[in-house]
Amino acid sequence: MLMISPRMASGTQEKQYTPSLLSFFLYNPSFGSREGEEEKKILFYHPSEVEKNEKIRNVGLCEAIVQFTRTFCPTKPAKSLHTQKNRQFFFEAEDSFWIVMVVRNPMVEKPNKDGRPPTIEYQEEEILDTVYGAVLRECYSMYKLFNGTFGRAMEAGGVELLMQKLDKFFYRYLQTLHLQSCDLLDVFGGIAFFPLDKMTYLKIQSFVNRVEESLSLIKYTAFLYNDQLIWSGLEQDDMRILYKYLTTSLFPRHSEPELAGRDSPLRPEVAGNLLHYGRFLTGPANLKDPEAKFRFPRIFVNTEDSYEELHLIVYKAMSAAVCFMISASVELTREFCEQLDGLVGPQLTLLASDICEQYNVNRRISGPDKEPQFKFIYFNHMNLAEKSTIHMRKTASVSLTSVHPDLMKILGDINCDFARVDEDEEIIVKAMTDYWVVGKKSDQRELYVILNQKNANLIEVNEEVKRLCATQFNNIFFLD
Amino acid sequence: MAVYVHNKGIPWEVQQNGTLAPVDHLRNERSESPTPGLVVGTEPGAGQESAMFVHAQSFEDLTADSEPTTEPEPEGETVLGESAEEEALCLGAEQETQEEQQPEVEVEEERPENRSKEEDVCSEVWRSHRKHVFVLSEAGKPIYTRYGTEEALSSTMGVMMALVSVVEADKNIIRSIHADGYKVVFLRKTPLVLVGVSQTCQSDRELTRELQYIYYQIVSLLTLTQLNHIFQHKQNYDLRRLLAGSEHLTDNLLRLLDRDPGLLLSAVTCLPLASSTRDLVSSSLQAAKAKSLVFSILLAGDRLVTLVRKKDQYLHHMDLHLLFNLVGSSSSFREGEGWTPICLPKFNTAGFFHAHISYLEPASDLCLILVSTDREDFFNLSDCKRRFLERLSRRTAYQSLKEALKCPSYSVTQVGIPELRHFLYKSKSSGLYTSPELPLPYQSLEEQERLMGLYQYLHSRLHQPTRPLRSIYRCGETENLLAWVTSGFELYLCFSPLGTKAMAVAAVNKLLKWIRREEDRLFILSPMTY
Repeated sequence: MLMISPRMASGTQEKQYTPSLLSFFLYNPSFGSREGEEEKKILFYHPSEVEKNEKIRNVGLCEAIVQFTRTFCPTKPAKSLHTQKNRQFFFEAEDSFWIVMVVRNPMVEKPNKDGRPPTIEYQEEEILDTVYGAVLRECYSMYKLFNGTFGRAMEAGGVELLMQKLDKFFYRYLQTLHLQSCDLLDVFGGIAFFPLDKMTYLKIQSFVNRVEESLSLIKYTAFLYNDQLIWSGLEQDDMRILYKYLTTSLFPRHSEPELAGRDSPLRPEVAGNLLHYGRFLTGPANLKDPEAKFRFPRIFVNTEDSYEELHLIVYKAMSAAVCFMISASVELTREFCEQLDGLVGPQLTLLASDICEQYNVNRRISGPDKEPQFKFIYFNHMNLAEKSTIHMRKTASVSLTSVHPDLMKILGDINCDFARVDEDEEIIVKAMTDYWVVGKKSDQRELYVILNQKNANLIEVNEEVKRLCATQFNNIFFLD
Repeated sequence: MAVYVHNKGIPWEVQQNGTLAPVDHLRNERSESPTPGLVVGTEPGAGQESAMFVHAQSFEDLTADSEPTTEPEPEGETVLGESAEEEALCLGAEQETQEEQQPEVEVEEERPENRSKEEDVCSEVWRSHRKHVFVLSEAGKPIYTRYGTEEALSSTMGVMMALVSVVEADKNIIRSIHADGYKVVFLRKTPLVLVGVSQTCQSDRELTRELQYIYYQIVSLLTLTQLNHIFQHKQNYDLRRLLAGSEHLTDNLLRLLDRDPGLLLSAVTCLPLASSTRDLVSSSLQAAKAKSLVFSILLAGDRLVTLVRKKDQYLHHMDLHLLFNLVGSSSSFREGEGWTPICLPKFNTAGFFHAHISYLEPASDLCLILVSTDREDFFNLSDCKRRFLERLSRRTAYQSLKEALKCPSYSVTQVGIPELRHFLYKSKSSGLYTSPELPLPYQSLEEQERLMGLYQYLHSRLHQPTRPLRSIYRCGETENLLAWVTSGFELYLCFSPLGTKAMAVAAVNKLLKWIRREEDRLFILSPMTY
């Protein structure tokens, strides 16, 4: 299955194709190591209709590449293979379990005269390894969040169970991959934090404490506002992937009802009384419904050590959303859900309007929104905090950026340069389009600024970025 | 600030091969400071007459997979081409006989100590080399390895060939493999396959370009015609038999690639010399011509003193680098007059030139290379050399030249910018570059290669094929770097880490003015032809 999205270039008949997923497969070389049994190595293969021998050949190539690179460094085998037509990314997710993603290079199709087939030019320098390597790792993290590790599945039900789980998960998940709009933000996989004053922050914390106290079943809680995180009891890496799921998949699916008017048919019955706006985003859509099912998605956290399986309850009131996580060994009942709804609903509604008010006050203080001369991305490796004024909207399907894709790739290039050396650095480049791009790395923090001041010089650009740092990041020291 | 405002009036990719010579009317526009309204051909170091080299205008030009057919053939090539063709036909065993006749020319069998041939290819030491290079035939037979022995690596090279073929079976081409901390780059140049494994941070393109150099080095010994001929006859021929004794040429070329900025910049650097002296040397060389003489090149160590060429014949800088490498890696030319066939692959991959190589005086660094199309021309060229020396010795210019040899480089302190540690400046239209000697922090081999690595990094970012940059400034803990490319020149500067941006901007202006002032000495402004 090819996902092609041709874009007609104006004026000519040239067709431009964006990068797309060619194949995605998972294998374990220790299964079927005997000659003639190679097929047993393959645990999942997309697209599934590929002929068996071709599957075996492609897996064989990956094995050979990985093995070959061990000649030069036994501990750090290949991570990607570049060819004229595509890039392949290798990731050993668990011991001997390899995931491979093959992405076709973007290409231009030029028609030929005399009915000859069109000439295809592959654009080999467009794809950034760091971006797609991160996408691949995220595929695994997302699988693990909902299914646990490969190893556990093997213990529980052997290869059959694992293959079932892989099929079920990746069949749908791969359709949500939109490789053409991946960029630096995928490399960071960060979390946007909601900026808040101390008072309101304390209110939220005490709310979380109260709820956890009253409903002792709750093991972990996470609090978000406006798709941005405020508080989380989970480990960072678990929160990172849960955050990704919430903001790119769950929230977008549930945003429409709230945007719709109160009388709109889209709006679900709001629990009869209008004392509060709380509702479940996972589990029962309507508590009053006698048919309501009290089944929640299961997630797996702390897979490295305690390996916990949890119910994921996501409850939302206006722009505030709370995730409650409860051990999967407990069965969740109607009574529990009603209790939670009664306790959390009114409080969360109140809290949400408090935060909203506070937010608007802050916005007024910082002055009216005017189009600034610069756009930036900030990421902090220590707390995964991420902030972008380049991305207007980021959902699973579209990442709308306000800058040219080439500039985004220059950001990616600078990020690669930073990753190479473990020291503080600053890189300022001027693109052919005369845009200035500034990258700063200090300690665990990275800041990227794009300036649209074509006639500025290095000194002026430096001053501009200094001003930006002073207003946006006044407590962070960047190398000058 | 003026420096950063690129003159919009100048088209970016202006030059085509062969049209490089500065247009006449531009000559008068050499201003005191080159920055305002700089036009190609008027940058400091731009030649005044006509360009000396056919050189790749851009890095892209070079890395483009240029097959002989698509290569711009110099005019008047037919005459040369034919004779070369003829030569190639009767080549069979000529290489050997040639060397037997003139044993003093034969490339030595010496193996420098640092050629770590006996290294165990499974050892940590072998793995830890910064850059491996392998050459193999399409049958997977080893031809060359930089470290270890070809025998010990024959299975590894077999795997390399297998990977190339498997990917090709899908009508695809393997380019590179990336892992944490190193990458493997493949270059298929029928009938050879070249593989580089590098821990440096060079881009794939840079590494591929280096492999091309190695490929052309091999072609320069055999011609492509002969190379094809051999493998068409016997697919699993062991090419090492023919190349025996030439490994040190490849070894040395790899060292040059790691250390010599000229190969990175696609340019050549000159011995600093008063222009009056240089002109006299050039004209003496010009006068000592012969019918089949195509290029006369005078080197001082690894620096060009002058180059005189036949009208309409251009030397590609890559070919010149291969000549430099040939001279630089053999001490045998010091013992007398050398006479060796050499293919200049960027000129013509099909045939041999014949080079007369000799030092002007036994202990001198001045090496004269006379390139002829005629393989019976040894005595003619020997006579050319005699005439050149005679003419030169009669003048005081020879004394000044020998004087200049004593300081073949200059210190960066002459520029008078305290924070400036080192720089590379390339004039695009002349294909010449200038650079001061390495200052104290970069004198060790390790630091020298690290600095080169930084320049390579800047170069690859500036010349990124799909998103090239005008300038890049990188501020780090050990140094601050600035690189700037315009239609006329490329400039790479290395500052102390304490330098500020304002200082860097001021330094660029000051440096360009300095180079303009010194260009007579640092560049060959009036190249000559016979």
